[in-house]
This record gives sequence, C-alpha cells and structure tokens, in this order.
Amino acid sequence: MLKLENIRKKFGAFALSGISLEVPDGEYFVLLGRSGSGKTCLLELIAGLNTPDSGTVRIDGQNMTNSKIQDRPVGLVFQDFAIFPNMTVYGNIAYPLRSKGMKKDEIAGKVKSIAAEMDISILLSRYPQYLSSGELQRVALARTLVLSPRLLLLDEPMSSVDASLKDDIRKVLRRINRSGLTVIHVTHDYREAVSLAGRVGVIHAGTIVQEGTPESVFGRPASRFVARYAGIKNFFNVRLRKEGDDWKAIGDRNITFRVDGSGFTGGGLMIVRSENITINDNEPFPRADNCFRGVIREIFPSEYGMEITVDAGMLFVADLSFSDFRKLKGREASQVWISFPGEAAVVIDGSNDSETS
Amino acid sequence: MGFSREQPVRGSLFSLIMLILSSLVLLFILAPLAGIFFETSGSDLLETANDREVRDSIWLTLLVAFSATFLFAFAAIPLAWIMARKEFPLKGLVQGLIDLPVVIPHTAAGIAVLGFISRDGFLGSIADSAGLSLINNPAGIALAMAFVSIPFLINSARDGFASVPVRLEKAALTLGASHTRVFFTISLPLAWKSIMTGFVMMFARGMSEFGAVVIVAYHPMTAPVLIYERFSSFGLDYARPVSVLFIIVALAVFILLRLISLKKKESHITPDAET
Repeated sequence: MLKLENIRKKFGAFALSGISLEVPDGEYFVLLGRSGSGKTCLLELIAGLNTPDSGTVRIDGQNMTNSKIQDRPVGLVFQDFAIFPNMTVYGNIAYPLRSKGMKKDEIAGKVKSIAAEMDISILLSRYPQYLSSGELQRVALARTLVLSPRLLLLDEPMSSVDASLKDDIRKVLRRINRSGLTVIHVTHDYREAVSLAGRVGVIHAGTIVQEGTPESVFGRPASRFVARYAGIKNFFNVRLRKEGDDWKAIGDRNITFRVDGSGFTGGGLMIVRSENITINDNEPFPRADNCFRGVIREIFPSEYGMEITVDAGMLFVADLSFSDFRKLKGREASQVWISFPGEAAVVIDGSNDSETS
Repeated sequence: MGFSREQPVRGSLFSLIMLILSSLVLLFILAPLAGIFFETSGSDLLETANDREVRDSIWLTLLVAFSATFLFAFAAIPLAWIMARKEFPLKGLVQGLIDLPVVIPHTAAGIAVLGFISRDGFLGSIADSAGLSLINNPAGIALAMAFVSIPFLINSARDGFASVPVRLEKAALTLGASHTRVFFTISLPLAWKSIMTGFVMMFARGMSEFGAVVIVAYHPMTAPVLIYERFSSFGLDYARPVSVLFIIVALAVFILLRLISLKKKESHITPDAET
C-alpha cells in the first residue's frame, strides 16, 4: 500500500534522516514520537504538501514522490481539524467534491450519506464555531473520507478532543479501519498506540528506531527512549552474566536479579514494567524470582490506580490497581516486599541506547 | 463611571491621569470639528449644497477616489497576498517601497506623479499617443490619489492574509482544491474583513488628498482643492460650508461602505452554506 524508501528531508535545525517504512493494505499503523520529532512533516510528505530531499514515496506500487497533492489517493486530517470557519458543516464536507467539479445533486447525496455514517446529519447547517471538539473531529473525518481515499493520515487525532470523547473517536477510527481503509496515525501518546495499532513505529531524532506489533515494541523496547515512550518507569543499569543456564543481572550495590536470557554479556539496561511488580506486606511464600525488601517512599494516585515507589536499595515503581492497593496494609514509610518474575525483566544492550540519561 | 467601578477609588490617581490625557486628545479631535459645525448656519449649508460647483467637486472626488481604489485593488490584493505568504530575497526592501508613499511629502509625490504622466513621462507618452492627456484629467487625479493611498490597502490586506491559518490552506489543498480555488474559497474570504478595512482606508485617504492632487490637476476641482480655492480667494467663511458638506458626505459614505463590506462578507460565506 504505502512504501517509504529512505526519506530524507531537512527543515531548519531538524531533519528526517532516512525513513523507510512499509504499511500494508488495511493496516492501522501508529507512528509514535515526541512533538518535533518530524511526525507531522512525514505525513505532509506522504500527502504531498512537501517533497522529500531524497528518497521515494510509493503508493500502491506507484512512485508518487513528486506527484501533485490532488493526484494522491491520500486523506489527511489535521491535528486541530482545520475546519473552514467560513463554511457550514455541509460546505466543509462538500468542499472536496466541489473541487472535483461534481454535480450539485451528486454532491448533496454523498454529503448526506457520509454525514449519516459519521452521525453528524443534524449538524450540517451549522457553522464550526458552534461545534464541540468531538463534533469537529467527525466533520474533519467526514470531509476527508467523502473522497474515498485509499490511505488515511491522522495527525494527533486525539490531542484536541476532550477526554470524555476520546472513547467515542477511538470507536469511529476502529470502524473506519475495519471497513478496509489503511490508516497511519501519528501521536505522542503510547496509550493510543496500545488501543488502536496493528503495528507501531517509534520515531526519534528523524529515524524510526523500532517497529513492530504493540506487544513486541512495548514488551521488548529496543532502547531506553522507546521504553520511556512505552510508559516504562523502571530502568536499571546492570551488568549481565551467565551462570550455568541462568542469566543474572547485577545492579547498583550488587543487587542481583534473575532475568530471562539476553544473549549478550556486559553492560546493559534492565527494564521492568511497573504493572509487573507486585507489593506484599510480608515476604511472599513460595519465594518469587526477584524478591526484595524495601520501604515505601511515595504513593500517588495514577490513571488506573496507585503508583507506589519503593526503595529497596534501588528505586522501584509499581502500579497497583485500586483493589490491590486496598488489600495492601503498607503505607508511606512502611516496610514491604516487592517482587517480579524473571520473564518480566527485559534486558537491552546499552549500546543501543539513543538517549543518554 | 466604568473606570471607577472596576477599581478602588484610592488607586485611581493613575486612572485619573490616564483619563484626563485621553480626554484631552479626544477633545482636540472633536473641538475643531464641532466648531466648524456650530459656526455654519443651516441656510449657508443649504445654499452650498445647491452650488453646482460644490456638488460637482464632491461627486468627482467620491467617484475618482472610489474608481482608483477599486481598480488598483485588483493588483494590490495579489501583492498583499505575496507579501503575506511568500519569502523572497529583498522582501524587506519591497515592503519599504510599499510604505514609501506614506512617508514622502505629498506635494513631492504629486511632482513625481506629474513627471510620470506628463507628455514626456512614461505613462503620459502612452496616453498621448492615444490622444489623451492625463494632466487636468480625472484619470490623472485617480493616479495621484492611488499613489499616496495604496499602501493602506496593501498593508491591511497583507495583515488579513497573514492571519489566515496556513493549515486551512494546506487542508484545502489536500482536499483536492487547486491553488486558485484555495485562494478564492479560503484565503480571500477569511482575509475579507481586513481587505475591506484597507479598501475603506485607501478610499478615505485618496478622497481627502490635496497635495498630490492639486499638482496633477487644479481642474477639474476635487473637493479638497475647491475648499482651498474658496479659502484663498474668499476667506474662511466661504470655505467653511463646503468643508462641512464634504465632511458630512464623507462620513455618510464611510458608514455606508462599512455596512456594505460587512454584508458582503456574510454573502461571501453563504454560497457554501446551503443544506
């Protein structure tokens, strides 16, 4: 469907330096990166608002690197939707059809059917100033989809939508994708990737640093940067050693962890997802793999429960659900036991680390 | 007073000073205008309104100023768009050039325009070969008016175009619109208010122009030239009623233009608004 080959583009102090990417037909691809990482620029290159300095953009096998915007079967929805304020919702959705020189009644038919599909029929005569963010999002999607593009590009589609409407938009996006449309969705929020993506790419400093299914990228991040992006809070610099069939990771103060095989020895980075760490008031029995005694330093409410920081010689962050937290007697300054299974610890080669901190 | 209601009385010395100084400026603008109105009797005004020469000069002024603004708008608006959207070398110099007519003395501007349209000037020789003389001709007056007033339209329209979000234009492009269609359906309608403001300002500035116009054409007489002529030949009492009449007409026209321009903006939107 879409194939990017070694795209390079310099703009100001920043550059896309060799982006290669393949998105097959019907896939929901989420491109994850910080603001300013070149995500929007990449979308503009695909849509044709910009041309790369070098590299090729192929759509359905056809080289479209320098094709006119109007010739590309691509729809782009902007971050703040870019609804034309001088037109009604009807005028906005009809706009691309009028650009094509379609007949009036044909336009009316198409607008009405897409409006019904997006559930905005009653908004058609309204001006955008009077719409909510969720409604604007639907109008923007309708306006783009009315041309039946082959590829839908979404630039941070959730960031300008009220939190209460996000679920709603997620459903709409899933439905659009399920109807067969290929989607590339750009975001800085890994949770959107988790909930929507068939495949994820993480973009950093102008290149895609890791790509794969959400499980593989978030489960086995290739670098500290990706791990941060996947919402991981526990990073430990370790030295790796093989003892018989077991792999040991030795951290600060010679704290030793049992980990799954890493395939390399020497310096590395050990990552543990905070939801994989359990906290007990007493020493668990039978004793788990990596079990340490520590003191609770901080307790914060988080999105899904409580985030608890435990000092066990090294600082561990654990996410507990509300019900697990209620069962726990330990509070700040209490002594507790933390543990996590060896397979929950992911070890990555320190030399892969693109972020120094 | 609105001022003291929002702020405690004790802290109002600052507000008081600001208020007094502001009032002084407003008074300075209002007092001479009020004076000229009070000192003109209704019968004088009526008589002046029936004076053929006065009526003709006011009509001529309105018509020529409007035509000049209207015709030059066709080139000024594209220039404004380029200044707002394109980057090119020496752009600052071009902007300086656009502002130049505002800063040079208007009599000097008149001399420059006169040289341009006189029989051995560039435009004058072209007109001459067509059997036309631009000197002492409404067309010459229009050129003089346009020369000194066009920066107002260009700059206001430029600000208007610059305030249109680029991503709206980008969105329109991705929706299959050509650059021309984007200009006419997005950029122009969204910049319309600023363009109309510039239009009214250019028109007003052109209409009131004396220095450049009097050098290019003493006859046919525009209203400012007539006022000057009445003043220098007959004195203040004769120049006053003409001035008052001209001010009244000018104000009426501005109010009318404002109303039309706002209406026009709305009607510009409606073609896309049917359901």
